[in-house]
Amino acid sequence: MASGLSPQERKLLDGILDVLIPRNPARGIPGAGELGVADFLIECAAKDESFDVAIRMILERASGGNIEDVRRIETEASDAFARLLEQSYKGYYSRADIRTKFGVGAHPPHPEGYEVAPESPELMESLTAPVRARGRAYRDTPAGDKNAE
Amino acid sequence: MPNDPVDVLIIGAGASGAAIAWSLLETRMRILCLEQGGHISDQQFPSRRDDYELARYGDFSCDPNVRQLPQDYPINVTDSCIAPVNWNGVGGSTINFLGHWVRLKPSDFRTRTLDDVGDDWPIDYQTLEPFYNANDANTGVSGLAGNPAYPDYTPPHPPIPVGVLGQTLAKGFNKMGWHWWPSDVAILSRDFEGRSKCVNAGTCDLGCAAGAKGGTNFTYWQMLENSGVELLTHARVREITVDENTGMASGVLYHDAQGQVHEQKAEMVVVACNGIGTPRLLLHSKSKNFPDGLANRSGMVGKNLMFHPLRGVAGVFDEPMKGHEGPMACSILSQEFYESDSARGFVRGYGLHSGRSTTPMTHALGGYGIDAPIPWGEQHREIMDNIYPNLAGLTVVSEDLPEEHNRVTLDANLTDSDGIPAPKVTYRLGENTRRMLEHGEAKAEEVLLAAGAKKILSKSDDKVWWRAGWHQMGTCRMGNDPARSVVNGWGRSHDVKNLFIVDGSIFVTAGAVNPTSTIQALALYIGESIKTNIANLFDD
Repeated sequence: MASGLSPQERKLLDGILDVLIPRNPARGIPGAGELGVADFLIECAAKDESFDVAIRMILERASGGNIEDVRRIETEASDAFARLLEQSYKGYYSRADIRTKFGVGAHPPHPEGYEVAPESPELMESLTAPVRARGRAYRDTPAGDKNAE
Repeated sequence: MPNDPVDVLIIGAGASGAAIAWSLLETRMRILCLEQGGHISDQQFPSRRDDYELARYGDFSCDPNVRQLPQDYPINVTDSCIAPVNWNGVGGSTINFLGHWVRLKPSDFRTRTLDDVGDDWPIDYQTLEPFYNANDANTGVSGLAGNPAYPDYTPPHPPIPVGVLGQTLAKGFNKMGWHWWPSDVAILSRDFEGRSKCVNAGTCDLGCAAGAKGGTNFTYWQMLENSGVELLTHARVREITVDENTGMASGVLYHDAQGQVHEQKAEMVVVACNGIGTPRLLLHSKSKNFPDGLANRSGMVGKNLMFHPLRGVAGVFDEPMKGHEGPMACSILSQEFYESDSARGFVRGYGLHSGRSTTPMTHALGGYGIDAPIPWGEQHREIMDNIYPNLAGLTVVSEDLPEEHNRVTLDANLTDSDGIPAPKVTYRLGENTRRMLEHGEAKAEEVLLAAGAKKILSKSDDKVWWRAGWHQMGTCRMGNDPARSVVNGWGRSHDVKNLFIVDGSIFVTAGAVNPTSTIQALALYIGESIKTNIANLFDD
């Protein structure tokens, strides 16, 4: 697939991807096509023949890559479309530069993690005060095993 | 070719296998543990990789049918609405569990007496309490003392931050006048015994590279191996063998990584393979003495499978909830609806757990444990840009009741790579559980609105989370009656006096809490009972 995608097919795939995950220019968030998610899909297709077939099927059915076209493909080739959608989301959101657009760090979670301040004992005391004030919240249990009776 | 016999042979190096090995260490018996997987170092955890989220859908998926690693066995789930999930390797599912560390409550041990459902356990909360405490100390549990929903106890470490999300929800619970409390977690809030405190990475399922999460790879096993407990990895047990003359377990046959079969003799066999793997192994261990599977004269092996069916409800708030920061599943929980109330239309109850939100990819694909991608197109943009960052959710964690038709059997065709039959799970949601989940969804919505949510997101499609099968219980239940249970009140098989079971399969009822704390407390209790009864351990 990697070598078999013509420039026209690549353009079509990029167009479909931009419909699936469109850009948000106000926040500088690119669409999936312009981000190059097609490269990720091509890599996936090279490792998984059935996904290669799915992409081929979609490209054969696509005529322009606009919203109506994508809606039609979703109906006509639902299984292939579902696979394309899933892999497109994976390809898009596995990008560190995209994560940051949603408030998530670009870095791997370890070892850096995130700084979260612990609540002060006073805050926890005041938050839990109403719960403690209502008193015990579990049932007494009789001794013994009723099954054995 | 047989190996030298050992005193104690433990099958499985997960939560319970590690705990009972620790308990038996002081006996100076020769202990060998066979584990079908291997060690995994913290350097190998995906949480250190840039594309860490992809691992959740590949080689670090919680679902063995997705992972398909050499040490995994397939599970036939075609007749189940919930797929079991796990990890096979040293540490077992504590490698990828989320560390929520809630104890069963006293009433959970007496459901027949109190509510006329399920069965009473042959032990009670008070019996387990010292073992809960010991295990909390060994594991490094963080939490806040004084929870009025339990008999008094004090977690060994202070609570982890509940964060913006937890504080917001707590205020909602207070407005409603409902119980809530910061979650107890098997996650360190401060450095402890060479392990680092939690860095709030938010990806507990992808392995805790800090060692903050109390997986037995970091807690028990490092000490056990240094103390002389033998651990043989990539050793998959094929069957437990039986001495035809005595009817006692004589050892096991296991496959090494190359598939070669070896024999290992033992004086005592301890099974710790979880609520799916344990019945699978017993059912496959057929012999002249046990034609229906080992320790199965009651016919109860594999029956009464219980999960904790889950549904999620999320609220959209005005401010970012920073749900990706902090332990993934643990912030606060409410047990307001845990105990039975006949006015609700169901018996027993559920918890409302505030899972934090997941990372962007997982949200786009439907959420953790769910395969239902969010819409594409402009709707996608709206959800990810304006809803995802401001989400706070509650998970309804329901108590499943034991029902014999929910069960584990051996698949007639599917096998693992060594030709051992795969387990087949047959499971459907009970009507009581369904009503409980509906009630829970409604209550979750109420409290989210009270907390300030502007909009509620609920699937309301009558479905439970697909990959919610973390908690596998009940398939080799404890009991005093050999006709209705597999092991006695201290984990010894009714039928085979030198065979013990220590994992979640021995649960009699499920409660509505994450079970690992109880699984390990039970393993320590069984270890203590073995030591107490050592002089006549195998007597009738």
